[in-house]
Amino acid sequence: MRQRSRKKRSSRLKVFRLVLLIGLLFTMVLIFLVSTIGSKKFGPFHKLALESIGPVQRVFSETSRYVYKIKTDYLDLISVRDENEKLWKELQECRNSSYQYREALASNARLQKLLDFKNNSDLPVIAASIAGKDPSLWFRTLTIDRGTSDGVKNGMPVVTDGGIVGQVFNIAPNYSRVLLAIAPSSAIDVVLQKSRVRGILKGTGSLKYRLDYILKTVEVEKGDHVVTAGYGGTFPSGLPVGVISRVVRKKRGMFQEIEVTPSVDYLTLEELLVIQREIPFKE
Amino acid sequence: MAVIVYLTIGLVAIILQTTLFMFTPMWLATPDFHFILIAYLAYRFDLLRSLLVILPLGWCYDIVSGTVGGMHLTIYTGSFLLLKFISTRLPVRESLYQIPLIGVSYLLMTRLVHGLVSFFSPETLLPWSWPKVLVRTFLILLIAIPLFRFFEVITKWLEGRFTPLQVFKVRSGNRFR
Repeated sequence: MRQRSRKKRSSRLKVFRLVLLIGLLFTMVLIFLVSTIGSKKFGPFHKLALESIGPVQRVFSETSRYVYKIKTDYLDLISVRDENEKLWKELQECRNSSYQYREALASNARLQKLLDFKNNSDLPVIAASIAGKDPSLWFRTLTIDRGTSDGVKNGMPVVTDGGIVGQVFNIAPNYSRVLLAIAPSSAIDVVLQKSRVRGILKGTGSLKYRLDYILKTVEVEKGDHVVTAGYGGTFPSGLPVGVISRVVRKKRGMFQEIEVTPSVDYLTLEELLVIQREIPFKE
Repeated sequence: MAVIVYLTIGLVAIILQTTLFMFTPMWLATPDFHFILIAYLAYRFDLLRSLLVILPLGWCYDIVSGTVGGMHLTIYTGSFLLLKFISTRLPVRESLYQIPLIGVSYLLMTRLVHGLVSFFSPETLLPWSWPKVLVRTFLILLIAIPLFRFFEVITKWLEGRFTPLQVFKVRSGNRFR
């Protein structure tokens, strides 16, 4: 009895579920048909639904846009960084080229002047570069990269396009040492170009020479040019030495005190010329 | 080995002094690395090994500098002997504490040799100039501290006692013998 009533109840429940499912499907089909075939009017429910979905959509869209933007920016940044590095490298190369170009131009100008000097004078010369400078406080000497194997001999004069620099005083097969004309132990026979009066040019250790043994009776003016005299055979005659920059006539003594500014810039010496000539009384 | 290493260092010092650190033939601010090496040898090495380094180096220095042969050799050897004499009588062994003496010995020996050469061979040297000599002395004192440290590292390395961590080692406050 009990079993029968239980079976009856379950069959009713099944029927009810079936009816409910069919009803739901029917309603959905009806809504679909009404919304597609029926009126195209965007009703309040549509609006409500759209107002609810819209913000969510916007959040998702903006987020995705933002993520996309970050990704694009990042990729751009990488490419910009690469480009920046590339441009910096190019700039460095350009700067190096420019520096090398300027350096080559300056070297060319210097060497051109030396070449002009060599071509204009009939003297045989050997081009040399400075290998080392004397670090001592008490001397003024240089080491050059030419020696006996190049034909350099003791006592040979050393010049630049500007004038005399000094003379060779120590030689080795490939290197020589030069006593600068500004050294205190240097003494060169010179003449005043205008008056042809002879004097002895002494080094002072600074960027000035001292001209000795010019009598007070001689007219000497600031700006007069001093050239080598050529006596003694060490220096050829007529090489530029410097310009008189100061003349002092003291009451006492026979001679004037004369200061000469060198025609050579000792601070920028790089390339030199050794004049090849036989030096008497030198080994 | 130490003699060869310090001879090489001394030669490099001389080459640097005559090339890279001499911008013009009249450049004043050239540090005398060679003299600092000699001072270090006077403090840290025995007489024989030091002389084996100093004499050839002084001879080389005379080749590239000056017109009076043996002048630099005399200055450097004299300074070495003076410093050696003083260092054996000093109670403090720490080389950094002995640095002021380097300046004093440099001044003394330079003045003495300059005076002698000027007396016997006038017009060979530039006149004595206190400002220039003091600048050089100051440079020697300034460079001496890092160079002494460098030479210490070299010496320890030569003795096989150097490890890179020793640079950070805290030393005791006692600087007396």
